[in-house]
Amino acid sequence: MESIVSFCFAILVAPLLSAIILKVKAFIAGRKGPPLLIKYYTLAKLFKKGSVYSTSSSFVFKLGPVVSFCSVVMVLLFFPLAGIKPLLSFHGDVIILLYLMGLGRFFTIIAALDTASPFEGMGAAREAYFSTLAEATLFVILLLFYRLNGSFSFAAFFTGPAAINLWSPTASLLLLVIVALFIVLLTENSRVPVDDPATHLELTMIHEVMILDHSGPDLALIELGASLKLFFYSAFITCLLYPFQLDNGYLNGLIFYALMGLIYVLVGITESIMARYKMDLVPKFILTSFALVFFAAILTMEFVQ
Amino acid sequence: MDTFFLSLAVILCGGVLPLLVHRQFTVMKAGSCVVVAAGCLLGLFPALSVLLQQGVAARVSLPWLHIFTLSFQMDSISAFFLLPIFIISPLAMFYSFHYMEKKEQSFRTAINYFFNAILIVSMALVACADNIPTFALAWEIMSVSSYFLVVHDFQNKETRQAGYLYFIFAQGGAMLLFAAFALIYSYTGDFAFAGFAAIPDSAKLVVFILAFLGFGSKAGIFPLHIWLPYAHPAAPSHISAIMSGVMIKMGIYGIIRIYALLGVPSMVFGQIVLIVGMATGVLGVVCALGNQDVKKLLAYSSVENIGIILIGLGVGMIGVATKTEAMAFFGFAGAFMHVLNHSIFKSLLFMGAGAVLHKAKTRSIDQLGGLMKRMPVTGRTFLVGSLAISGLPPFSGFIGEFLIYYGSFQGIHLQRTAFILSALAIISLAVIGGLATACFTKLVGLAFLGEPRTEKAAQAGEAGLSMKLTMILLALACLLIGVLPEPFVRLAFRGITDLQPAGAYNPAAFIELLRNISKTAAFFIALFLLVSLLRKGLYWRKEVGAGPTWGCGFTRPTVRMQYTGTSYAASMIDFYRPFVPVKTFYTGIRKIFPGQTIYYTEVLDIAENKIHEMIIKPFFHLLQMLRWIQHGNIHLYIAYIVAAIIVMLLLL
Repeated sequence: MESIVSFCFAILVAPLLSAIILKVKAFIAGRKGPPLLIKYYTLAKLFKKGSVYSTSSSFVFKLGPVVSFCSVVMVLLFFPLAGIKPLLSFHGDVIILLYLMGLGRFFTIIAALDTASPFEGMGAAREAYFSTLAEATLFVILLLFYRLNGSFSFAAFFTGPAAINLWSPTASLLLLVIVALFIVLLTENSRVPVDDPATHLELTMIHEVMILDHSGPDLALIELGASLKLFFYSAFITCLLYPFQLDNGYLNGLIFYALMGLIYVLVGITESIMARYKMDLVPKFILTSFALVFFAAILTMEFVQ
Repeated sequence: MDTFFLSLAVILCGGVLPLLVHRQFTVMKAGSCVVVAAGCLLGLFPALSVLLQQGVAARVSLPWLHIFTLSFQMDSISAFFLLPIFIISPLAMFYSFHYMEKKEQSFRTAINYFFNAILIVSMALVACADNIPTFALAWEIMSVSSYFLVVHDFQNKETRQAGYLYFIFAQGGAMLLFAAFALIYSYTGDFAFAGFAAIPDSAKLVVFILAFLGFGSKAGIFPLHIWLPYAHPAAPSHISAIMSGVMIKMGIYGIIRIYALLGVPSMVFGQIVLIVGMATGVLGVVCALGNQDVKKLLAYSSVENIGIILIGLGVGMIGVATKTEAMAFFGFAGAFMHVLNHSIFKSLLFMGAGAVLHKAKTRSIDQLGGLMKRMPVTGRTFLVGSLAISGLPPFSGFIGEFLIYYGSFQGIHLQRTAFILSALAIISLAVIGGLATACFTKLVGLAFLGEPRTEKAAQAGEAGLSMKLTMILLALACLLIGVLPEPFVRLAFRGITDLQPAGAYNPAAFIELLRNISKTAAFFIALFLLVSLLRKGLYWRKEVGAGPTWGCGFTRPTVRMQYTGTSYAASMIDFYRPFVPVKTFYTGIRKIFPGQTIYYTEVLDIAENKIHEMIIKPFFHLLQMLRWIQHGNIHLYIAYIVAAIIVMLLLL
């Protein structure tokens, strides 16, 4: 029961958290910024509208938003939020979940190519390219975690006595992992310095340009999916920061969402103080995350038997 | 075994039949398909019965030419490799019913069917051969018959060149194999496979490396893969499907067989196979990404999948060497599963490519586009095949890759070399997976979606009935294995029972995990349907318009402005540049009112380049210097012969 509540709460609250980034950016720029509920207003507006479809597109274009949304929801179903057991979990679920995210990406990319727009093709190529690099980092993190506590599912990584977090003896390695995961978060969610969601030139976009032709409820699904994806990566980092093993579930939840908020603020600050990298610098940025976690994995050879 | 030989006889009849009735084109095709399919169905029975009843290994020997004994044995490994042979081959023949349409080439089609049947029979014999002469004989028949299938369009110069290249690699590989066999024979003095384990350990390594290279040239390991991207585009598509889906797996079978026969639990074997597998996988997929020819791309993707299979085998071998039972078991089982899966989705993709080639008359991605609307069945099945080959759930490719991942993760708790290698196996699988997604989004997204880039693509229509049916069947198989993997994975588990000591592990806990995967896949599909329904509800009674794609302010877009395969892959290829050189030719813009300019790029295959530069050129140079031996005077040639005989007599 508590798993269902926590899952539903996460879905409901994800758009609010995304708005924190906008607020922080506005604050640093000295503006008032949009209201915190902006994402809900946008979603409500989009759900009410109809759509215009390009004459070039086929059924794949309509499939894209649905598949990518479903894949993120699947991942959240398997993820322990605030120390609460997830709705579903089994030994080995991490691999199928990462691959389901890959399925979502596959459909986002081909939906973009379906519009026959050169701009969307450009975005699709970049998305495909950068995600191959980020995926390698994620798999090194998995094998590192497997070596640390011998488990193979999100629930076993972050709950129970052998949970992986900064309060365990292997914390020094996890510092590297957290930095790497933050880089992956920025990459996979199209944030500055990899991609600038607020840019005005289609040529410089990655994710935003891929969804140019989507409108109405389709676009709403994409927006909600994007919020959930950001939520997932932030929750991943949050679980590494703190064990959430207090007896009081509410207190756990409170700390969890406070830390989540902190990460969103951090994303906002990163976006405010950095510019987007030149496209050819982005792979090097992502590979930094790979180097960090690979180094962490090598370190385990000496002191994790 | 009797049923097995009966089935081979039936298949052979199915091959000879078209030669007799080639004047009745349709009758010939239908008759041959039916007879071959019947033979293959018959052949599935002994294979399945060996797989399902553990420990039944049938053996048959018959004398041949008074000197040799032909001996056959069907153990679980052979039986498992018979499955793709007997399932994919008849489907490919059925597909060819509407693919081979040129009535005026009736006799040539008959010959194609004849060699096709011979190829099926010889592959089945390779899988069951139990001594050196039998194996060598079957192996050579397989190579030669497939050569004749490749050069089906022999009027075409490129096809002849491709056939020649294939022939050289097939025979070069065979020579390495014979060298390996000869080395063994020099120790044992016996042709039987059973004696292989008795040779000294130092010789085993040499034998294994020779055999690995020999079998590898058939399977397409890096850098011996260079015949694949030539032979597959040259061959008719149903032949590409059989060759890529089934025949190159016989190379994998050979590697597994020689490993099982030598029976040394040494780490070195696993290291060699794993490292070669990783290189093959990554470079294969990068080359695939860089190619704009649909069939060439698929050929390179076969190289990539051979790499994945080898990673599985390497992980298994390391598991055996380090006595990590689970690692050995899942590594081998994953490789077996991927063999089966790859035979299904790769033949599906080659058939799709064949349909495209048949209807749009071009293989270049940069000239296609918009085929999803013009060829709905081909497009949808091709999409399923692409998802499967990218290893994405809920399709079949994921299951094999998952098993290999699972095996590799078992090695993470090991120390030093084994740990590093397991980690590298996982990383390379992840990289291959990501790049395969990029590669197949490119193929689907540019060839089948968007707007047609040329008139030819715009005129394309749907493929013929037999082609459509075959592709639908294969696509359903991809989905079925992805959603209900348990029976198929159990088959793979049974397949490795005779691969000691890997087969002894009890995978009961894993079956539970498989069921969970199956539930997750089903759950995902349910969620997908639910969200789709929800989406339908959201659009209920709403205005849905249609208009041109948003051109970002540009109002006169043309289809030629679409992203091309070259541009899609450019930055990714650039990342791997030292390993995938790009040849560029650009005339530049000179005058104020520039005339026509030419820009040409091609992604080169580093193996092909280096082999050409470092082996073929010096070799040619050497031969050039020896040209004076060939002068055309017959009496001097006779003198050569006499001299050679005298030298031989003196020496021996």
